Amino acid sequence: MLPPEAVETVLRRALRGGADFAEVYAERSLRRRMKVRSGQLEEALSGLDLGVGIRLFFGTQVVYAYTNDLSRQGLEEALETLLRAKGALGQVDEKGQGGLDFRKARPQGLHAPKVPLSAKDKRYRLERLLEAEAGARIAPEIRQVEASLLEWEQEVLVANTEGTWAEEKRVRTRLHVLAVAQEGAEVQTGVSAPGKSVGLELFDLYPPKAIGEKAARQALTNLKARPAPAGTFPVVVGNGFGGVLFHEAVGHLLETTSVAKKASVLADKLGEVVANPAVTYIDDGTLPHAWGSSEWDDEGRPTERTVLIEKGILKSYMVDRLGHLLTGYPLTGSGRRQDYTFAPTSRMRNTFLAPGEAEVEDLFAGIDFGLYAKEMGGGQVKPGSGEYNFAVQEAYIIRNGRIEEPVRGAMLVGKGPETLMRVVAVAQDLENAPGMCGSLSGAVPVEVGQPHVLVSEIVVGGRA
Amino acid sequence: MTLEEAKRYLLRRAKELGLEAEVLFREERELSLRARGGTLEEIKEARQGGLGLRVVAEGRVGYAYTEELSPEALDWALEEARENALLSGKRGFLPPGKPLGSHDLLGEGLSAPLEAKKEAALALERALREDPRVRSVLFGGYMEREVRLGLGSTEGAEGAYRTGIAALSGSFVMAQGDGRKQGWDLRPTKEFHALDPGRTALEFRERTARLLEARPLKTGRYRAYLEPRAMAQLLAVLAQALSGKNALEGKSRLLGRLGERIASPLVTLVDDPTLPQGLASRPFDAEGTPARPVAVVAEGIFQTFLHNAETAQALGQANTGHAYRNYASPMGVAPSNLYLKPLGNLSLEEGVLITEFMGLHAGANPVSLDFSLQALGLWVEEGEARHAVENFAVSGNLLDLLQAIEGLGKELAWEPMGPSAFGSPLVAVAELSFAGA
Repeated sequence: MLPPEAVETVLRRALRGGADFAEVYAERSLRRRMKVRSGQLEEALSGLDLGVGIRLFFGTQVVYAYTNDLSRQGLEEALETLLRAKGALGQVDEKGQGGLDFRKARPQGLHAPKVPLSAKDKRYRLERLLEAEAGARIAPEIRQVEASLLEWEQEVLVANTEGTWAEEKRVRTRLHVLAVAQEGAEVQTGVSAPGKSVGLELFDLYPPKAIGEKAARQALTNLKARPAPAGTFPVVVGNGFGGVLFHEAVGHLLETTSVAKKASVLADKLGEVVANPAVTYIDDGTLPHAWGSSEWDDEGRPTERTVLIEKGILKSYMVDRLGHLLTGYPLTGSGRRQDYTFAPTSRMRNTFLAPGEAEVEDLFAGIDFGLYAKEMGGGQVKPGSGEYNFAVQEAYIIRNGRIEEPVRGAMLVGKGPETLMRVVAVAQDLENAPGMCGSLSGAVPVEVGQPHVLVSEIVVGGRA
Repeated sequence: MTLEEAKRYLLRRAKELGLEAEVLFREERELSLRARGGTLEEIKEARQGGLGLRVVAEGRVGYAYTEELSPEALDWALEEARENALLSGKRGFLPPGKPLGSHDLLGEGLSAPLEAKKEAALALERALREDPRVRSVLFGGYMEREVRLGLGSTEGAEGAYRTGIAALSGSFVMAQGDGRKQGWDLRPTKEFHALDPGRTALEFRERTARLLEARPLKTGRYRAYLEPRAMAQLLAVLAQALSGKNALEGKSRLLGRLGERIASPLVTLVDDPTLPQGLASRPFDAEGTPARPVAVVAEGIFQTFLHNAETAQALGQANTGHAYRNYASPMGVAPSNLYLKPLGNLSLEEGVLITEFMGLHAGANPVSLDFSLQALGLWVEEGEARHAVENFAVSGNLLDLLQAIEGLGKELAWEPMGPSAFGSPLVAVAELSFAGA
């Protein structure tokens, strides 16, 4: 994408301007989005993103510039603007004297697509989307169905003054089906949205018809559901996207972005008991073809598997370069960003709760009255106070150990550290699911995951 | 090529190919300065631009965009848009265009030396730390954004405008006793010189400090007061149901309810893209329809959806001039400055004062308008806020909430969100459902 000489010139100029470290991140992304509704293609968009971000460290001070102009002149202008903003223009430091010797790392193709995006035409995609829509038409109450395909082929280059030169092509695809069910004035929705770091074999992994039907079943369930009860109850959280509970309640609190600034309630707690012994929590950027995987992170470090919490004891944070500078914790390959318009920060990749020993049925057995949160929506957290929330997309009442009638509109709220202590049982049926996680460095693809878990009490927001 | 040149290139190529085409470009400069511990910790200076293309081929619409402005990339975008159009099953058209002129909505608003802007960020961060209850400051910062938008079409639309925003923002953690709360605030304006870091720091701290030493809230139904920020968050959800595009796609509960009472008679909801200091003001929309104020709800009666040319025609209503696309998205609909008109002089009596909702993207369903949201707030008794409450969620349906509005304050406050800004006074709602201890 960029010639090594141009990158070297910029990096050396940055060092001469007094920077202790400089990094160039270049990106070219091809994106396509197709949406089907009412048996036809409703909207199709194709796009090309192209840009470069330059990041300099002066001690722990970070300066960042980005531009769409990848010419030699464009890069140099962006750098001069930065040095001017920093007040370091005209400075000549001896650090920029020597040459840079890039260690060019080749990706191994761990997540390379089996069916590349270029292997099939647009009509093939359209036919798969029509199958998904047809799959959702299972009852007259299903009034609207939207089936979309998102595809994203991102070429990334990261080079820095330590000699890193990492290039990678990341391919991701996601199918998204929204079903709207209506009866009288009552309107409810259902969603199913599988996504992986794969090409068009996504349709083989997740047959479109079944995905459509899943979204429709959820909409119909919600249509006949009553409003969820309000109060504090035991809650069984389903596997797969249920992992969003831990993503919000714990994951964000372990990013050095908050930890380094003592703005996380879990800062300075390495080696301490922070969770029930049933809890082992892992962030793994290496899972083959997972939605949040890549070979390098966006700082050019190899991704890795990081055990965050082991049997209730805090073992590691998620550490990016700046976080490492500020805290001294070892790097974990966790520097991520949405695109070139963001400087990287420490972020989750594929984060999941390890399988425990309980049987799924045992989790329900002792509950007189509680909630089964089968499918989850998204959530949010304030790391500084630990206050989190997440929405339940499909839920049922548990009565005397049995799963009974569906309820809708439940929102679970609490404080992360308290909830961690209240995870009293973890089943064995680990599953992951994709999502988009928004934070300081933009929206990045992540997986969340867990087996079924029992939380002894959570505030359930429903109708009082 | 510059964006202006790329626009002309594409319109010329489209005509040669016998296509109708429309090009919307956006050029943006951003400066962000963040301070911590008395020094500037992060400086960001950026330029970004790109163009979006809408093409009509054989009566059908296709989209593409590119940030790369080489002839190869532009030709690729045009061909992709054409291919997307030919595959589409839906009929579409480009609205007839006209010269729209060149407008400057920013003027000298951001004109100040870099040093003064750095000092604003440092002053805010310093002032945030002046309270011993502030345990850590993630950042105190200044940011500005200058945007130039240009539009052209083979149907004769031609126009440009320049706008921008300057803002102070801060994030910090406050603690007292066992209680900790995190604040994250933004103070946006159109004028750098209107910013007052010392005063803003005080406001930011106050907003969070009052939430400390919170007690659990007992599950029940209470009268609710929504502060402007909280109500603005709900208006952003409501805006999706007001979208003509969502109505057309069967995703709005307001479909079929024009002329009906959908809210308390106290509710008048206006979208005004012409507000002189409006954070989301614009002279024309994304397809060149000139801006004008529109009453969406008048004294509780639903008047109109927000429309672009296509949705207005399809639903048989007047085009309100709310076409929106960022260059990397298809054409849609978005509000500009959408606000609930202040009326009366509401004062607190008894109930729960909600200062902020959390997790709206997941907890509020824009189709059903059901919501169940974590909130932060204060317990109100005998006309005053007594203590903070926490660990609770509020739920209901937004249309029921609008019907139950029984009082409005007189001061309007604004929250920018995406391409829009939402405004509201303090609002009293007869009763809402609260889940807590």
